[in-house]
Amino acid sequence: MASAQDGNGGAYRRLLSEISAWLERYFGRRLPHAEVDDAVQETLLAIHRRRHTFDPRHAFGPWLAAIARRKWIDQLRAIERRPSDTLPEDLAVTGHETAVTSASVLAGLIEQLRPAQAQVIRLVKLQGYSIDEASRETGQSPAAVKVNIHRGLARLATLIENQDDVA
Amino acid sequence: MSHDALIAGLVTNLDPVRRRSVAREAALVLMLAAVELGLFLGLGAMRDDMGAMIGSPYMLWKLGGLALLALASGAVAIRSLSPTAQPRRDLAYVAVLVGLTIIAGALIDPMAGGDGQTILQRLSPANGLLCSLCIAVLALPMLAMLALLMRRGAPTRPRTSAWSIGLAAGTWGALVFAFCCPVNDPLYVATWYCVGCTMVAVMARWLLPKGFRL
Repeated sequence: MASAQDGNGGAYRRLLSEISAWLERYFGRRLPHAEVDDAVQETLLAIHRRRHTFDPRHAFGPWLAAIARRKWIDQLRAIERRPSDTLPEDLAVTGHETAVTSASVLAGLIEQLRPAQAQVIRLVKLQGYSIDEASRETGQSPAAVKVNIHRGLARLATLIENQDDVA
Repeated sequence: MSHDALIAGLVTNLDPVRRRSVAREAALVLMLAAVELGLFLGLGAMRDDMGAMIGSPYMLWKLGGLALLALASGAVAIRSLSPTAQPRRDLAYVAVLVGLTIIAGALIDPMAGGDGQTILQRLSPANGLLCSLCIAVLALPMLAMLALLMRRGAPTRPRTSAWSIGLAAGTWGALVFAFCCPVNDPLYVATWYCVGCTMVAVMARWLLPKGFRL
């Protein structure tokens, strides 16, 4: 990165390629599959825009991890804000989200939510249930499902933000 | 766009950059502080009896405490602009310092004396609100400078950074105002200066994260 700050394009290309691979693994463990590419590219752009803030006297890893973590939180907030449309029943798509369900980091965070929130987030955001289906499955009213998803995702973002360790 | 295409674009746009320097940012902030204070005092705003009062415990507490708080919160604000900073922990230290300063004020309160006035008379809300507004206005140049530094920095907790910046600008505004404030009552100072600083901190928290993109 120090060479890149001085304008060395070759070093910068190598660095960004390595970072890109690391970011794919990083976000792959923390975000739904469909969100990973956006998060990687957003982070690469942030690194490019803020490259002057890296101090070569310090390690590069914590600097990169702090920016990636911020982008993870931003992406979670974007998911929270985005309206979730119900998929047509006859649309057959391989479920990428199963991988997310089993992701240990996300699962660990969801465990910290209230059970009602954790349950509907798993169903609607990770397993693709509609609000009505989740309502029937959990016995919560559709309004309660929406409220619990909204509050749960907000709580998730707060939990992540309060974590100091980003590795 | 694939990652490779994006990387190629970024490499094409690569220019040498001037590295962020905390020392340079601190120097800029100190320079602005010196100019603002110099202008304020140069315009004759200092209270007339400052020469006689400067050695009193009350004035030492007021100016010394505010200078310490402005320095500490300014350092926290600048530090928070680095991605790896932990501004919450630093802000907690500043909060402890604020508490200690207020306790010190309570200790010198009997020496300053309330002249048997009621608390409401000592607080004098109408004047107090005016003082708070003056503090907020005097904090604006520092707020603008720190906001510019935030735009150029890479705070990964922009809201916490905004609180730090607001607190730093607010305590600086209070320190400048302390040179002209004619009131010699620690209760008044602790109350209304805190209100002024809080106004600036809330303003910073509300304004600075808007449109900020890492």
